[in-house]
Amino acid sequence: MKTPDTLADRAAARPDTRRRRPPRRDRLAPYLFVAPFLILFLVFGAYPLIKSVILAFYITSGPRDQVFVGLENFRFLLTDPDFWKAVRNTVVYTVWSLALQIPLGLGLAILLNSRWVKGREFFRLAFFSPNLVGQVFVGVLFSVLFVPQYGLVNRFLHATVGAPLDTRWLSEPSLIMPALILTSLWMYAGMHMVYFLAGLQTVERELYEAAQLDGANSWGQFWHVTLPGIRHVLIFVVIVSTIGSFQLFELPWVMLGRSPGPDAAGLTIVMYLYINGYVSGDLGYASAVGWTLALGLLAVSLLQLRLSEALRG
Amino acid sequence: MTRFPYGASAAVMAGLAVASGAYLAARRAHKPRYDLRLWTFAKTHGDAYLKMLPEFLRKHSGKSVDIQVVAGEAVTSRLQAAFWSNLDVPDLAEVEISWAGSFFRGRLESIGFRDLTERIHQTGLWERIVQARFAPYTTRGRIFGIPHDVHPVMLAYRRDLVEKLGIDVERLRTWDEFVEVGRRVTVPGKRFMMELPPEGLSALEVMLFQRGGGYFDAQGNCTLDNEIAIETMRYYAPLVAGKHRIGNDLGGGQIFTRALEDGYYLFMVAPDWRTKSIEQDVPKVAGRMALMPLPAFYPGGRRTSTWGGTMIGITKRCADPDLAWELIMHLYLNKEALAEQFRGTNILPPARDLWDHPAYDEPRPFWSNQPLGRLYANLAPETPPQYTSPYIGLAKAKLSEALIACVRYYDRYGVRGFDGFVRQQMARAAAEVRRQMRRNPYLHENA
Repeated sequence: MKTPDTLADRAAARPDTRRRRPPRRDRLAPYLFVAPFLILFLVFGAYPLIKSVILAFYITSGPRDQVFVGLENFRFLLTDPDFWKAVRNTVVYTVWSLALQIPLGLGLAILLNSRWVKGREFFRLAFFSPNLVGQVFVGVLFSVLFVPQYGLVNRFLHATVGAPLDTRWLSEPSLIMPALILTSLWMYAGMHMVYFLAGLQTVERELYEAAQLDGANSWGQFWHVTLPGIRHVLIFVVIVSTIGSFQLFELPWVMLGRSPGPDAAGLTIVMYLYINGYVSGDLGYASAVGWTLALGLLAVSLLQLRLSEALRG
Repeated sequence: MTRFPYGASAAVMAGLAVASGAYLAARRAHKPRYDLRLWTFAKTHGDAYLKMLPEFLRKHSGKSVDIQVVAGEAVTSRLQAAFWSNLDVPDLAEVEISWAGSFFRGRLESIGFRDLTERIHQTGLWERIVQARFAPYTTRGRIFGIPHDVHPVMLAYRRDLVEKLGIDVERLRTWDEFVEVGRRVTVPGKRFMMELPPEGLSALEVMLFQRGGGYFDAQGNCTLDNEIAIETMRYYAPLVAGKHRIGNDLGGGQIFTRALEDGYYLFMVAPDWRTKSIEQDVPKVAGRMALMPLPAFYPGGRRTSTWGGTMIGITKRCADPDLAWELIMHLYLNKEALAEQFRGTNILPPARDLWDHPAYDEPRPFWSNQPLGRLYANLAPETPPQYTSPYIGLAKAKLSEALIACVRYYDRYGVRGFDGFVRQQMARAAAEVRRQMRRNPYLHENA
């Protein structure tokens, strides 16, 4: 048998793929396999998205009564004091949540990453477990803990620092946000801890040994080895927490008795959207709120990414 | 698997999809069908209706009725979704009073409930029922619901403690007299004359309705800045703020139970339905509680108000509205059955001619042997109307904001500049409600 030894021979020996098209059923197969996802995505993902863009330009009462109003929903939104109250509450919650949850989660992770702590597995599970039960359960639990006169929080504060027993955490407007932030701290610090633990385990031991040889103390090791080593996890946690905080809804809704609370002190952007869409029935306005929130989140996430890149530089 | 072109896995998946689809389709076909399906949000209502149903079915042989208890607030959101999608709509539905307005937002012909105005007048129901109770279920002059109740309001009190403190309830005829005594017996942090929330609206609303005010008037206009509303706020805020406050609120549920047992409150607002809650939740105070009419705002004034309520409506999807109407008449106007229901719920039915049943005169040991039904029935004709609007939720939120601002102001500055501040807050609240209402293009059609 002659073997091809020139380029022309090799080209002649190569099978002609241009002429031999695969059978029809083989060409259809990939499309058939992606069809179930595609159909579901188009019906339940893409269509509602497109429809919500259109709806944002209508005043509606349910899906049937619609009046085209152009940009009126957005104009009204930007001049509505309740919307700005919701934005302010959401931003305050987000900033405080990040400021407390992330250092606490990181601290717990460093503590439980240490070889000297006994029962690490138990504590990992214990700190993470609040995240398993969901916001509704936690909301119900904390609404009982925060009860005035008889609630555990007030009893504890009264016994330790002499705080009044009838402090109304969930009905005094200035205390509602601290109560929500404390509740979410209990719920999410453990979840952040798990992310940070995963990050800490990727930091090489040799780097710490080298830092020790260079005379770095604990703080120096943390600042120059640990933090740069888990920077990617930190950025991820900050972005995910920011997005999650901006979507806050169930926790205040349950804790405040399915309402934004007195003086709308627990009103968040998603709660504002829900009330307008499903209580007042104006799906058009709710769509405008939803898209404004989505664009806002996009802007915040991009800003955070830029900042993290700048810090890296 | 040579016969199936894409391998065994795909064949199994396709088989499972076909089998599960066929199962679901077959199950749907076997779903029992009823001539009428009724949704209620209250288990007590559902239980009572189930007891009353056999008699209705005896009168309408061959017919079937399904009564479903759909939990709490879910009934409203499910019903709204059912109306919007036109799927799984029940034939009749009960809706809580504060949610009723949300069904009346769009065009009249888009409202999911049938217009019952003509039926109500033709059948004489308009004359039989306390007419004020139709107000919350009326929009643009058309009535879409039949009231389930009247819910007149009295004051419930710890009789044992009140007597021990030397308070003569017969002399508490006006709110001024009540407040004067309250300032004498209140010990902040330990005992308050009355359960009055500094941030919540329940008691403020009761006072507002008692004075003939409300969130909206009969035409659906916001009235939060009229003189009645301003005066009510001016009166209420000092009761829960400042050094001479007489009221506080710790919350509901078990906390309320503990507070009442401990004598933290002496008096509390009690519509008929709440007396049953108190009986069930605070059994320890049985025999030590009593009821009295609300003090009036001026001598000879109205001694009651209203709190809460439920309507029943027939949906437009109902195939047999005549049968649905007969079911409503049976459930809402059956004298014997409602008397029995009253014994279990303490809720006074809405039709006047039902109140002469002996059940309403029975002494109640829990309430110091007072004839609870008769006390409420005597006040029921005076029950004020509470007009509604699709914007009732917003109006409540704005009134709550105004209340909190006024309470804070009074706490800080007392009476100095308080009247002007109240007026300004109420005007702001009303303006924000009106601003939202102006956006609704349907609200003033056929008005």
